[in-house]
Amino acid sequence: MRKAAQRLCVLASIGLAGVVVNSSQPGLNHALAAAELPRVTLSADSLAPRPIEQRTGEAVTHDYAQAWQDLAVALNSNRTDSLGDYFAGEAKLRLTRRIEGQKSAHIRTQYGDGGHRVKAVFYSLDGGEMQLQDQVQLEIQIFDGDKLISSSKATQKYLVLMTPGSDRWYVRFLESVGNDAF
Amino acid sequence: MRIPTPTVLMLLVSGFTILSVAQNPALQLPPTAVAGKPLAISASGQGKGMFYLIGPAGVLKQAVDFGQDISISGEDLTISGMYQAVACGPDGCTNKTIQVQPSDPARLNFLLHPSRVPVSAHNAVNATVLVFDRYRNTVLAPTKVTFRISLAKQAVSERSILTTRGVAWFGMDSRPTQGALEVTATLGEASEPRVIQQVASEACHLRMTATSNGRTVNLQTDPIRDCAGNPLPDGTIVSFTKLDSAGKSTVDTPIKKEKATAQFTVSGRARISVACGVVVGNEVALGGGL
Repeated sequence: MRKAAQRLCVLASIGLAGVVVNSSQPGLNHALAAAELPRVTLSADSLAPRPIEQRTGEAVTHDYAQAWQDLAVALNSNRTDSLGDYFAGEAKLRLTRRIEGQKSAHIRTQYGDGGHRVKAVFYSLDGGEMQLQDQVQLEIQIFDGDKLISSSKATQKYLVLMTPGSDRWYVRFLESVGNDAF
Repeated sequence: MRIPTPTVLMLLVSGFTILSVAQNPALQLPPTAVAGKPLAISASGQGKGMFYLIGPAGVLKQAVDFGQDISISGEDLTISGMYQAVACGPDGCTNKTIQVQPSDPARLNFLLHPSRVPVSAHNAVNATVLVFDRYRNTVLAPTKVTFRISLAKQAVSERSILTTRGVAWFGMDSRPTQGALEVTATLGEASEPRVIQQVASEACHLRMTATSNGRTVNLQTDPIRDCAGNPLPDGTIVSFTKLDSAGKSTVDTPIKKEKATAQFTVSGRARISVACGVVVGNEVALGGGL
């Protein structure tokens, strides 16, 4: 468990169309390190039809990293209560069903998160939806009780839809896609 | 030909080892499947064991006899994404992954913004459609979505857009005439209508006339319309401002049946102006003005 936490203890950084906000900025390093978020690098070079503002990019990066941290904790502990803060809609529903399935089967999944290379590809004109492509290095271990039944390490791709709420961005769709998807 | 006893023993041990390896389960499954379609997985080996299928929205766990195919129903594969198939026998586990692809496009989410828009506003209306299969998996393959745009008493227009990664969008100017603008997005049998209200833009050529009766002045505007001739809706506030020897005084009054009215009591010479939103109208001087 501690090992998993250490793996998650990485920093988030943002690259926005040539503007880079990274962990060397005063205050940011400490804050994100304390939160033990997965590393997320966001690029928005080919984003359309609306450009992304710096603050929005920072918020999306942080909230997406936070969502993955919650996902890892929830799938390892089989607790659905940690999914409510950054997941909504279909993404939350699917993860909840996955956790319920894991509980019934007495299995759990442990994610080792090697970092996300995220590309923002669609941001609607009204600012109501943002689509992201994520390429993540994952080490996935599945346990039946205490017995390790599967261990794999792979690059996985995800198509993500995020929407803004009153104080954060929510992950509404998180769909793993094939290697040829993007 | 005689075979020496140690060789026989070695062959027996090797054979046992080979038999043990053969008892480990091995999974054979296609690299891809389609959401909602059943799937047969071949689990070779001997004896009994446990099979797991771990997907994005569920887990299947069942005891299996190795050497027989494992049938996965379409209901267990409705969500697209990566699935991990794991088979465990007495000697260990094997795992394989399978990518479940979305099925055919069947549903759409249609978002049309904003709900109210002034007429003739540049790029003010935007539409976004997300395309899904019947299980709400995003359909990545380019899919044609048709938008039908209609406004009362005007010709209907249509445009078709191919989705990119499940998204189709467009922006357009609002029409010059006020009223309900209906946009319907269609994908095969699925159709989603949305309506936005086009309202008059800012007032144009705002003008009032004054009639005085002693110290009382009655003011009334001409019909208030935007530059395209659309009447501003009742309730839109019009401000009349009077400046005379008593000071400055403003009356805010709503438009009723295209016109706004107000009444002032003036002291001596006065100037009265009218404004609606960001538009300033004419000015009236009374008693020779100030």
